[in-house]
Amino acid sequence: MNKDHFLEVRGLKKYFDAGRPGLFTRSRDIRHVHAVDGVDFDLHHSEVIALVGESGCGKSTLALLLMGLEDPTAGTVTFDGRDITHLNDRQRKDVRRKIQMVFQDPYESLNPTQTIEEIISEPLHVHGIAKEKGERDQRVRKALEDSGLKPAEVYLGRYPHELSGGQRQRVVIAAALVLEPEIILADEPVSMLDVSIRAEIINLLAELRITRQIAVIFITHDLGSVGFFADRVAVMYLGRIVEIGTMLEVLEKPGHPYTKALLSVIPVPNPRLRRERTILQGETPNPIDVPTGCRFHPRCPVAIEACKASDPPFVPLSKTHQAACLLLIK
Amino acid sequence: MQSSTKITEPKNQWTARLLEFWRVFNKNRMGVIGLGMIGTLVIIAIFAPLIAPYDSSSTESAQIGDIYNPPSAAHLLGTDDAGQDILSNFIFGTRVSLIVGTFAAFISIIIGGTLGLIAGFNGGRTDNLIMRFTDIMLVIPDLPLIVVLVALTKPSLLNIIIVVGLLGWTTTARVVRSQTLAVKSRKFVLRARGIGAGNRHIISHHILPLVMPILVVQAVLVVSNAVLTESTLAFLGLGDPSALSWGQMLNYAFGRGAMSIGAWWALAVPGIGIVWVVLGLTLLGQGLEQVLNPRLETHHLTPGRPVVQNERDEFGSGKSADEKSGNILLDVQNLSVNYVADGRPPARAVENVSFTLKEGELMGLVGESGCGKTTLMLSLLRLLPSAGQIVNGKVFFKEKDLTALNEEELNIVRWSGISIIFQGAMNALNPVRTVGDQISEAIIRHLPDFPRDKRLDERVIELLDLVGIASDQKENFPHQYSGGMRQRAMIAMALACNPQVVIADEPTTALDVMIQAQILELLDDLRKKLGLAIIFVTHDLGVVAEICDKVLVMYGGVTAEYADVDTVYNEPRHPYTQELIKAFPDLTKPKKKLTSIPGYPPRLDALPAGCRFAPRCPAVFDRCHIEQPPLHKLGDMHFASCHLVEGSK
Repeated sequence: MNKDHFLEVRGLKKYFDAGRPGLFTRSRDIRHVHAVDGVDFDLHHSEVIALVGESGCGKSTLALLLMGLEDPTAGTVTFDGRDITHLNDRQRKDVRRKIQMVFQDPYESLNPTQTIEEIISEPLHVHGIAKEKGERDQRVRKALEDSGLKPAEVYLGRYPHELSGGQRQRVVIAAALVLEPEIILADEPVSMLDVSIRAEIINLLAELRITRQIAVIFITHDLGSVGFFADRVAVMYLGRIVEIGTMLEVLEKPGHPYTKALLSVIPVPNPRLRRERTILQGETPNPIDVPTGCRFHPRCPVAIEACKASDPPFVPLSKTHQAACLLLIK
Repeated sequence: MQSSTKITEPKNQWTARLLEFWRVFNKNRMGVIGLGMIGTLVIIAIFAPLIAPYDSSSTESAQIGDIYNPPSAAHLLGTDDAGQDILSNFIFGTRVSLIVGTFAAFISIIIGGTLGLIAGFNGGRTDNLIMRFTDIMLVIPDLPLIVVLVALTKPSLLNIIIVVGLLGWTTTARVVRSQTLAVKSRKFVLRARGIGAGNRHIISHHILPLVMPILVVQAVLVVSNAVLTESTLAFLGLGDPSALSWGQMLNYAFGRGAMSIGAWWALAVPGIGIVWVVLGLTLLGQGLEQVLNPRLETHHLTPGRPVVQNERDEFGSGKSADEKSGNILLDVQNLSVNYVADGRPPARAVENVSFTLKEGELMGLVGESGCGKTTLMLSLLRLLPSAGQIVNGKVFFKEKDLTALNEEELNIVRWSGISIIFQGAMNALNPVRTVGDQISEAIIRHLPDFPRDKRLDERVIELLDLVGIASDQKENFPHQYSGGMRQRAMIAMALACNPQVVIADEPTTALDVMIQAQILELLDDLRKKLGLAIIFVTHDLGVVAEICDKVLVMYGGVTAEYADVDTVYNEPRHPYTQELIKAFPDLTKPKKKLTSIPGYPPRLDALPAGCRFAPRCPAVFDRCHIEQPPLHKLGDMHFASCHLVEGSK
């Protein structure tokens, strides 16, 4: 198969206007938020890639760009050899069948006035597929049961408020599955859930990739939750990917100081393993005024003078592992 | 066959929804009265020719002697200046008033609803243009404009309807726009876009169903407004001369000497009609609003008895009195809390929980949502919602029993002895006041004698410094703070009165890992620096492993396990603790598959008979379903409530 040309993201950028333009705002007064500022990566068939970063690093905007819910300022997205960066509504609708999204907040992403059946059959209705009632019902049921809500009859007539957080998130996943997508973009799908339920949802996504060959882009702020599940990990900081590699490479041999800091603060559920943590002070800087040179240097614990001046290129650490840090250049 | 089932299915759903709506609405007295008042008028208007004793249009029977006759058997409500029966005129007037009101309101609602929907949905320039236009329309005084327009066109019923309708849409547009904006920004709309839905589908399936309830309420109020405007116009002499409305009746009576003759009935009857309609519609609108507007939902717990019923301590260990309490700050013994709702068995939210807390100690309180963690913490300071009741147990704070104190005495302990950082409170900061301002308010509120001069300012800066916020951030507003900074500000507020115990309820749950680490570091620093005792409430076992001294694991309102931190993580004995630890991703073993605990915590008003964890427990056996396990002591500082540990040490 054309393994390397499934989803390709090249130089993707999205700048937002800062502040809300009024009726009389002159366009040259508008400043820009560099939400996504040059992102490249590939996604292979039925691969799970984890996109990790703090809030404000642009990972959610990146997801919206990939979904075509925001128009990129620059760059291209190629899906199955076809450029899908700018599409008209009809073409976009076609692509949307293949790429589905699961949102962070299962309490907000379901319409409270619709029943579970309406929610899950809505995508079929929108795309005009499975118009025949028997077939439609069957697909809805299958999606529900594949998402772990068995038996489907119990859930079909219910409203979202009658379900728990974990069940709601399963409904969101079922509504994505019903279109039989090839990629699922999951934006912090477990961060609103109790720890005891998080594993369920992650395991469900992991299962889908095996049973349905779905590729998953898993967006999270918690590097700790990507183990076992992700094939590769990409770490984002301030609109850019600063390190990308296979899961074990990134978790065990991180190259970038930011990745190291993120790893050091992940809670380890064992007090005997309490260790020195690198707690970065402050928060991701305002993406309106991006620091010069390496964008991480103001918070970097090991920054040198040169970091203020030059933007580091990607340094290959292995065939599959790269990180953007000056200190890695030998 | 196929098609018929398709049609009936949604229909049944709609009838079900309508029935449900009626069931709720029926309980709303205001709404029902309003509906009755309006319903009566609608019936009168529809059956006017049948009800009215005289035909209003015929004046043949009128004679000089009939003018302004007081109410009599022949004319129940008297006669007017032309000798006509006022009751009959009133009945036919109802028709005119209601027709004008309804149709004018219809026009207003269509225009206002559409404009509001377009403005709210499209946003940007379209929104700007439409709303500025609406603003201009709102600034123009309505009545004079209507008077001019009606006078310029011919004052016919149709013209009045059109003019009133065309000018009455502004509030509707604003209300619909703001609701559309609110609905549009919700995630399910984005999700609908994600599945490929177009604008039309999103508006009809996602926006309209949530805008409709508010539009219905608005429509009722617009009708009332239109009826009033029509009456005003007719009273000013701008009514349709061929259609006698209530306003017109007033106009004739007023202009033709009813006042000087003393024929009060000619004025009172149409006046009462107008008041009746407006009152009825307002009541109906209010009733509908209470039922339909989700933002006005009331709390489902009914007010109960906030009084503490302190039973004799039967289970009491009775140790604290004799035992050297040393530096024990907080000693909670056998605390039980019930939620009482009328007609339902009490929900046993907390049962028999005991723990102690020493100076400088950090205890983690861990459990899934709905395990009674927050209830337990609130009950320490008796801050429970009104249905919550402490039914048993004692809370000793520095050897004083808090459950025996009265409100006034307890108020001294609240905040200056024990303070709480409430869950999600960082998002509840007042958005229009600076953070420094809100901290100084917290100080004054709890220490009324605090000098309100430079010292107050200094104290605020000192507190901010303590939590790592630079003093120049003092004058900033909450929205200029990030999530982590807001949480720091909340901690500063909690420290305002130098408490010895701080309870932090899920202080890091919505925060990123890095910010979470910062907050944990801060709490750890504070207890070292100030000797604070901290209770850290969380559902995340991993978080507390980093900084806790001991951990209390709660499940279904009871203590599952209570032990020092090393024991909890390395030798947990309760299956619930073991499962919770397995569910947590361990970075040191990235290849390990995560396990989750199947099922959900029990509802506190429908607890299982035996062990509360039995339905989800992997090690369950027969006895667990029958008998609730007591808390077994396994070591000096290790307790677990499970039948499996019975007799073991």
